[in-house]
Amino acid sequence: MDFEFTKEEKALQEEVREFISKESTPEMLKETAEQGLGDVYGAPEGRKIIRKMAAKGWLAPTWPREYGGLEASEIVAYMINEEMGYHGLPFSFVAAHMAGPAILRFGSDEMKKKWLPRIASGELEFALGYTEPQAGSDLSALNLRAEDKGDYFLLNGTKLFNTACHVADYHWLACRTNFDGPRHKGVSIMIVDLKSPGITISPLITMSDWRTNEVFYEDVRVPKENLVGEKNKGFYYLMTALDFERMLNLGRYRRVFDELVAYTKETAVGGEPLSKNPLIRQKLAQLSTEIEVVRLLYYQLAYIMEKGGIPNYQSSMEKTFTAECAQRITNVGMDILGLYGQLKEGSKWVQLKGKMEKLYRNSIVLTIYGGTSEIQRNIIAMRGLGLPV
Amino acid sequence: MDYNFSEEQELLKNAAKGFLLKECKPLFVREMENDPQGITPELWQKMAELGWMGVVFPEECGGIGGSYLDLIVLLIEMGYSCLPGPFFSTVVLGGATIMEAGNEEKKRELLAAIAEGKVFVTLALTEATAELSPERIAVKAQKDADDFAINGTKLFVPDAHLANYIICVARTEEGKNKEDGITLFLVDAKSQGVRITSLNTFAGDKLHEVVFNNVRVPKENVLGKLDKGWPIIEKVLQKAAIAKCAEMVGGGQRALELVIEQVTEREQFGKKVGGFQAVQHHCANILTCLETSRLMTHQAAWRISEGLPCEREVAMTKAWVSDSCRSLVALAHQAIGGTGFMEEHDLQLYFRRTKAAGVYFGDADFHREALADVMGL
Repeated sequence: MDFEFTKEEKALQEEVREFISKESTPEMLKETAEQGLGDVYGAPEGRKIIRKMAAKGWLAPTWPREYGGLEASEIVAYMINEEMGYHGLPFSFVAAHMAGPAILRFGSDEMKKKWLPRIASGELEFALGYTEPQAGSDLSALNLRAEDKGDYFLLNGTKLFNTACHVADYHWLACRTNFDGPRHKGVSIMIVDLKSPGITISPLITMSDWRTNEVFYEDVRVPKENLVGEKNKGFYYLMTALDFERMLNLGRYRRVFDELVAYTKETAVGGEPLSKNPLIRQKLAQLSTEIEVVRLLYYQLAYIMEKGGIPNYQSSMEKTFTAECAQRITNVGMDILGLYGQLKEGSKWVQLKGKMEKLYRNSIVLTIYGGTSEIQRNIIAMRGLGLPV
Repeated sequence: MDYNFSEEQELLKNAAKGFLLKECKPLFVREMENDPQGITPELWQKMAELGWMGVVFPEECGGIGGSYLDLIVLLIEMGYSCLPGPFFSTVVLGGATIMEAGNEEKKRELLAAIAEGKVFVTLALTEATAELSPERIAVKAQKDADDFAINGTKLFVPDAHLANYIICVARTEEGKNKEDGITLFLVDAKSQGVRITSLNTFAGDKLHEVVFNNVRVPKENVLGKLDKGWPIIEKVLQKAAIAKCAEMVGGGQRALELVIEQVTEREQFGKKVGGFQAVQHHCANILTCLETSRLMTHQAAWRISEGLPCEREVAMTKAWVSDSCRSLVALAHQAIGGTGFMEEHDLQLYFRRTKAAGVYFGDADFHREALADVMGL
């Protein structure tokens, strides 16, 4: 048993931290806000730093060297991801962490050679194209039609809540190639150039100022070679990918917690630091404990994969627990900040640069996207405990 | 990182599980709750023969020289089977204190006897305030020529009725700082002036009031250094807290199994109760409580085993597991329904034990406050 990083892993963690603090620019952080990006990768300033990280092999560290990876362990990959999240870098990489692994697992050799190196280098970013107005938790209800026209597919339909399409290069698209038979057996995954004629991207602004999109497909042509793996097998690829990619790290939520702790030590009322208030002590200690629980759940996923296994209900458990923990962090943070919690970034008297209220608003989506907590609990019960479907 | 037990630990776990499934069935547990001794000599001897008492004692003291983590493997299985009796008091409290504080001769003598199953030891720590901090130690030990005379009352002393030795945590000097002036005394339970009264408890533990009325203890029976006993107790409390967590994790595992048995069997409204989402979500929450408790316990136990700094992890773990395992068993009752409310159903054994365990060696609030200190708040 061992719950600490090895010496080499710790050294790498230090190296990653130093790199990030040196290379993070105010321009990048400003861009995140202006583009409504949050954790999402793809905008110009973000790409600069990510390309540098990717050059060190840190974007897709577990991939084979021939595709741009370091053949490093999953523990290392998870650790790097956590550092990126903590330091406010984009850490949600659809290309490197979702599309890439799927191509690695299910794509043809030509597809791997064509796409993987450019993904690993940070040159390309993808946007997820799953959700539709009538297909959220029930993804198999997706309808975007892909007609087989011989040497290309012709696509028509609508995607909803597709984040990052406005900055990404390609759409990692789940579409319907078969309308007969069971719904989940008629889905295919395709890589679509977002600059293709017929694609219209329309912004949707969320309650946390971050942007997602409606995407309209009108007679969009997709070359046959952009089909990933086999036609009509897409749902299986998607579901398999979820087991591997469901992990969520606390990222900026853990950082805001650390800043909250510092705030309570530095802020005094009536000569006494807030950190001496017994209720505040209990709440912060509780959150600190939960953050430790998240750490153990998170690295357990990496460990399972290291051992050649596939995290099963453990992914669902980690994602749900982490999302709910993040919500508790921001809720407690808002309570401790009290009236100051309402002040937005830039306001006179604002504390913690207004991060708390912004993350508080954003925390709502954590238990919804990537599989709602309700779906995750169903999965834990059915796959983790064998309860009846 | 490595989340798994070693192969030997897995073997130990399976052997312990098998043994306890046979020798410590729920009927036996219930019998022992009503039995004044709380253990049978037969079971105790069998455990001694398996080497369980001496798992962490050095070989030259009659033990196996195993690690604290090995002991935790056993304790999880003990929690699973609700093992009654003085293992915890004798080994985790008494044995640990003697190992930390005893001189070589005392260790060899006593630990060997404990390992053979011949001697019971317990720790008399808390007093009427029921608090764990050193400033609450008021039982006095007055120096008198070559001996000490102990006066005062200790409460909630586990298995004092069986103990050959009671380690009494007493104040020998009004210290300038609260941690000084406390000394550990190995008291022969048959000493004149020791009066033991059993307390009627809720979870099957045999707890006692122990009154010390001018109890004379020779100076050779001081464990560790005069006035410097508290740091030993702190270490013992850390180990005891995590050991209790191990019991709670084992108990939680069994509670989960009882739930699954029920919800996959019982049918209502034309289907298995386990097919309803509300019930499934309770089950998912139960599994989350269990797994997170298990991971936290493993980590803290590993750190203690490796001699790593562990104040932070011990506080976090005892707080987390106390709360989570309590929630777990409460949810289990909800998922099982009316049947689980019956005395005859085994879940109530776990319901009571988990709550008691949650309070021992510092409840969740206590440990959160300790953690707040570690965090520098």
